Parts: sequence; structure tokens; C-alpha cells
Amino acid sequence: MNALLTSAVAGLTAAGAYALLGVCAVFTFRLVAVVNFTGAAIGTAGTFSMIGFISLGVPLWPAVVLGILVGTLAGALIGLVMTQWFSEATATTKAAVTAALLVGIVALGLRLTGGQSPKEFPTLFPGSAFRLAGVEVTVASVLTVVLALVFTLLADAFLNRTRTGLHLRALSERPMAAELLGVRVRILALLVWAVTGAFTTFALMIIAPQRSPDFMSLSLLVVPALAAALVGAFRSFPLALAGGLTIGIVEGMSSAIDGISQYRGILPFFVILAVLLWSQRGARWDEAR
Amino acid sequence: MKSISMLLGGVALACLAGLSATTAAEAAGPTCKDGVIRLGAVSTITGPADFSEVPEAAAAVFDAVNAKGGLNGCKIEYTISDDKADPAVAAQAARDLIDNKEVVALVGSGSLLDCAVNATTYKRKGVLSVQGLGVDAACFNAPSVAPVNVGPYTLSTAMAYYATNQLKAEKVCGFFIIIGGTQEAYKGAIETWEKISGKKIHLLDMTLPFQGDLTPYVIKARDAGCDAVIQNAVEPGVVQWVKTADAQKITGINWLFLAPGYTQEVAKALADSTQPVYVGTEWEPFTETGSAANKDWIATMTAAGKPLTAFSQGGYLAATVMLDVLSGINGEVTRESVTEALQKMQPKSYELAGTPYVFGEGDRHAPMQATKVMKLDKGKWTVETPDWVVLPSAN
Repeated sequence: MNALLTSAVAGLTAAGAYALLGVCAVFTFRLVAVVNFTGAAIGTAGTFSMIGFISLGVPLWPAVVLGILVGTLAGALIGLVMTQWFSEATATTKAAVTAALLVGIVALGLRLTGGQSPKEFPTLFPGSAFRLAGVEVTVASVLTVVLALVFTLLADAFLNRTRTGLHLRALSERPMAAELLGVRVRILALLVWAVTGAFTTFALMIIAPQRSPDFMSLSLLVVPALAAALVGAFRSFPLALAGGLTIGIVEGMSSAIDGISQYRGILPFFVILAVLLWSQRGARWDEAR
Repeated sequence: MKSISMLLGGVALACLAGLSATTAAEAAGPTCKDGVIRLGAVSTITGPADFSEVPEAAAAVFDAVNAKGGLNGCKIEYTISDDKADPAVAAQAARDLIDNKEVVALVGSGSLLDCAVNATTYKRKGVLSVQGLGVDAACFNAPSVAPVNVGPYTLSTAMAYYATNQLKAEKVCGFFIIIGGTQEAYKGAIETWEKISGKKIHLLDMTLPFQGDLTPYVIKARDAGCDAVIQNAVEPGVVQWVKTADAQKITGINWLFLAPGYTQEVAKALADSTQPVYVGTEWEPFTETGSAANKDWIATMTAAGKPLTAFSQGGYLAATVMLDVLSGINGEVTRESVTEALQKMQPKSYELAGTPYVFGEGDRHAPMQATKVMKLDKGKWTVETPDWVVLPSAN
């Protein structure tokens, strides 16, 4: 039991990262109606540019700002592709396009960053916050959980309480109608892409030192993140947050159980499958009737 | 007078002896039909990994020989094929080298899957491979392949042996990433160590994820009371593991990694770490540029403008072995004569490696059984064992 608790706490490091990226995925979907596979890859690109700037002699924090700027631009660029050519496409097509873009970005990223050779990521927030069940919970993990929480609250308030939020919701649900009503669709959509780019870049900068420091591993963080978003059915921020935390903690716990631990990598897929089956059960019944 | 005639007679005899030696030397040595000896390599160059430095280094050795007129007048024609880490491409590359390019042997290959895909083809076609960098388990488990490197499995045994023998570890633990069919090979490596040391592995976890958070595993090692941990991650995984151990403020565990962790990038990325980190090398440590054993390799690579990495040592050593074997052939160099020479060769020592290289006629080959251990010290690798750590025979 004690070993389970210890490994559950150990899973917190991953949990915060999944939750944060999961909430970002929900944000993108609710505002621009795209299941975005490139989320983590955009952040990774920004994070790697930060190390690039550092190796050029730029001090840490200015490099962080420049890296976030690159992430913002990368996000806007992907947004431009999506709004320019695929704004009228179905959700499936858009998801497929971002999956294709992910493959492209990873291939390019691996080539540019020297493949598997590890990079030195500066720890922006070093040290550990507290010790629980024999595990040092790092400042970075606490920060990711807190950021995910803050983002959840802010996003909810923004979408439900502000006029721009209303416009953005209109944009994702009825883009044509929104445009006819005089909402500046293109600009707003690009802005959303840019903001999520900036945010995921900052998130990745915090997460990166604790993960395998290569382009592919970091970009593939999108898989558990999308699983978390799916728990919230791509609508609910709090549920996505809870989903991300649960996946991380369950993943941690599973490493303590010998029979399960070798399958721990497939947990996100398992969650995706279970949620899909659960959410589709109504449709299946309706059809049968 | 008598003494003078004896002296003259002696000189004449000596001349005769010298003469006969020269004629023998002219008759001996390798010959070739159309002035070339064809060799090849199947390597992963594009794809998830890049091992191109291995065959490129072998090419540099052959180029140097060709520049001096070739081997006994025979030019060496060396073809490098990219297998793209794709089994179909690897099989095609091997067939092309054997059937179309008519290579007499394979040398200096470094690939993720060449052995697994092609070892049976090589056996069927009667062509042998002096692998420059054996990666997959089949490289150490086939009659047609004998790598010049120690390989991850023997190296795991050697690092565990070093942990018990020199670091005096009592509770040795193993954490392994298992890709493809490597589980049995790693299990075998640990069993071999258990036989040699008479100890039992304290904890063996073969579920380490290739990607994902490592905190639960590092904690598991600590809570199990391990005092030495053998781990088989490649570069990014090594960095992540040690950083996680730092974040968890773990002390008192020696972390032992395999050769993929032995790079300048890893040392640089872990410059701030206080964890005791050790790696086992495949050959004479490549970072020791002043070492006598590295001298000729460095000279050859520098002359050819090739990088000084562990990979290039593998290619260099494989090519050197092949040249020695070819030089020992009396008569025409054909696939049959090279295969026979490799199978009948005597073990030969090379300064770059701790045990002699031999191909031989066995069903499997792992001639290299020694490593030098490096320790991480403030962003630099330092030699921990100036003498080779040689594995005693398990039997």
C-alpha cells in the first residue's frame, strides 16, 4: 500500500504535464474546433529555440522570452495553415491535417536538433517544493499543476463571461454565421493559435528538464494530453484537468505493480478507448432501437 | 684461411636463405582477379538512428590502403548501403551487395537491424560479416556475424561484474528498456553475471519505458535499497534518469550505464550532477586522445577528416581486422577463401580492445569480453579503470 502511495506521488511529475497540455488541447478545440496534434510539438520547437538562443550567448530569461516568441509564431503559422485552407473542413479532416503536420515537425525537429543526442535544458524553477511519501515533489511539478488549475479557471471564466469569449465560441461552433455577424473570424482564430503556442511553449520549458530531452519524446507528450482532453470530451476544462492528473498518477502507480508496469505506456490509449466506448454507448443504443 | 672460407660459406647460405624467403613471400599473400577486392556494409544511416560514422571510418581505413597502392596490389572497393532501419530495405541491401556487387565479406556495418534481418541470408550465401557495431541481439547470436564491439548484453554483464568486484556493491539492480526481442538477451546477461559472481540480482525490472516519466522507477530503485543500478538507456534516457535521481535527492547509489551513454553531450548535459555515474566503453575510451592505443585510429581519422567518436573506432577496428585476415590469405581472395580465413583465424590482439578478436566456427560469436569504465566528473569523462575489466569465463 505504501509502495502504491509512493509511486502515485512519483506520478505527479507527469500528471501536471499531462493536465496542463490537456487543458490547452481543450482550449484549442473549443475556440477553433481543431483536435490539435501539434500542440506539444509547437511547444517543443519553442523550447529548443530557447536552448539555441542560450548557446548563442543570450542570457536565460531573455532566451525564455525569445523561445516563447518562436513558439507563438510557430502556433500562429500552424493557425494560418488551418484557417487559410481548412477552415471549412470537417473536424476529422482538421485532426488529420494536424497529425500530418506533427509528423513533419518531428522529422524536421529531429534533423535540426541532432536526433537522439541529448540537449541541456536549463531548469527554470529548480529545487523541490516538499517531500511526500518519500518522494521529492519538485517545484516544477507543483507549478505545472497550479498552472493547469489557473488556466482551467481563467479559460472557463473567459469563455463564459466575456464578449470576446462569446465571439470565440461562436467562431468554433458556427464560423460562417459568426463571420456574417461581423466577427473578425480570421484574426481571432490566429490569435487563439498564437496564445496556445505561447502557453504550451512555456509549459514545455518547465516540463522538458524532467523528460527525455529529445525532440520526438517531447512532441509525443500530445498523446496523454489528448487522452486527458478526451476525458473532458473536449468541452470541460475541469474534467480534462482531472483526466490529466489521473492518467499521470495511475501511470506512476502502475510502475509499482509488476504485472501491469510493462503495459504502462499504453495507458493513455486505454483511457482514450474507454472514454470513446463510454461516450458512444448512447449512440449505439439509439441505433439499436 | 679456413675461417674465411667458412665465413664466405655462411654469407652464401644466408643469401640463399634470404632469396628463398623472398620467393616464398612473392608466392604468398592475397591475389585478386581483376585487381579489386569487393567489400560491403549494411548500415542504418537515415531513419531513427545514424550509425554512418561506423562504415565511414572503415572506408577511411580502406582509402588509406588504396592510396598506398592497395593490399598486395589489390584495390579495395567498399560499398556502404543504407538500410533506413527498415527490414525490407535491409534485406534488399544485403541481396544487392551479395548478388550484384559480389562482395567477398561484410565489414564495418553498424545497424539497428542488419543482423536480425540478414544473418540467415549471410549464412546461406556463405558470406561472413565482421560487424563494426553489433546492436541487435542477433549480432551476438548467429554463426555468420562476429562484431568487433562488446555489445549491450556482454557489457551489462561486465558492468554488473565491475559493480560487485570493484565498487563492492551488495545489492545490484537492473533496469532495462526492452525493445523487440532483447529481453532474453538481457536476462541471459544477468544470469551470466550471477554465475560469475555467485550473487543474485537484487531487483530486475524490464519494464522501463522508452519515453515517459522515470520518477517512479528511480524511487523504486531507492526504496528497494539498491546500491548499484545497471541501466541500458541511450543518451537522452541517461540524462533524464540522472536528472530524476538529482531531483529526488538520491544518494548512495552508483548508476552504471552502457556504451551509448558514453558521449560528450551526455557529460555536458550532466555537468551539474553530483550522482556517481559510470559508463562501460566498447573499446579504448575515445575521449583519451593521448592514449597510445588510440594513436593510429586518431591519425587515420584525422587524415581522412572523420570525427573521433566511439562509432568511428568500431569501423576502424573492423576494417583493420579485415585487412589482417585478407593479408593472411595465400592465393585468390574469393568469398570462399575469406570465409575460410575468418573461420580458421587465430585470435588476434588489438590495442583498441581488451580481449583478442577471433571469428571462428562457432554458432555464435562474442569475442570482445572486456571494457574500460569511465566516471562522470564535472562534465567530463575520466578513466576509472586504466586496466581492462575482463570478464572471466562463466563456466
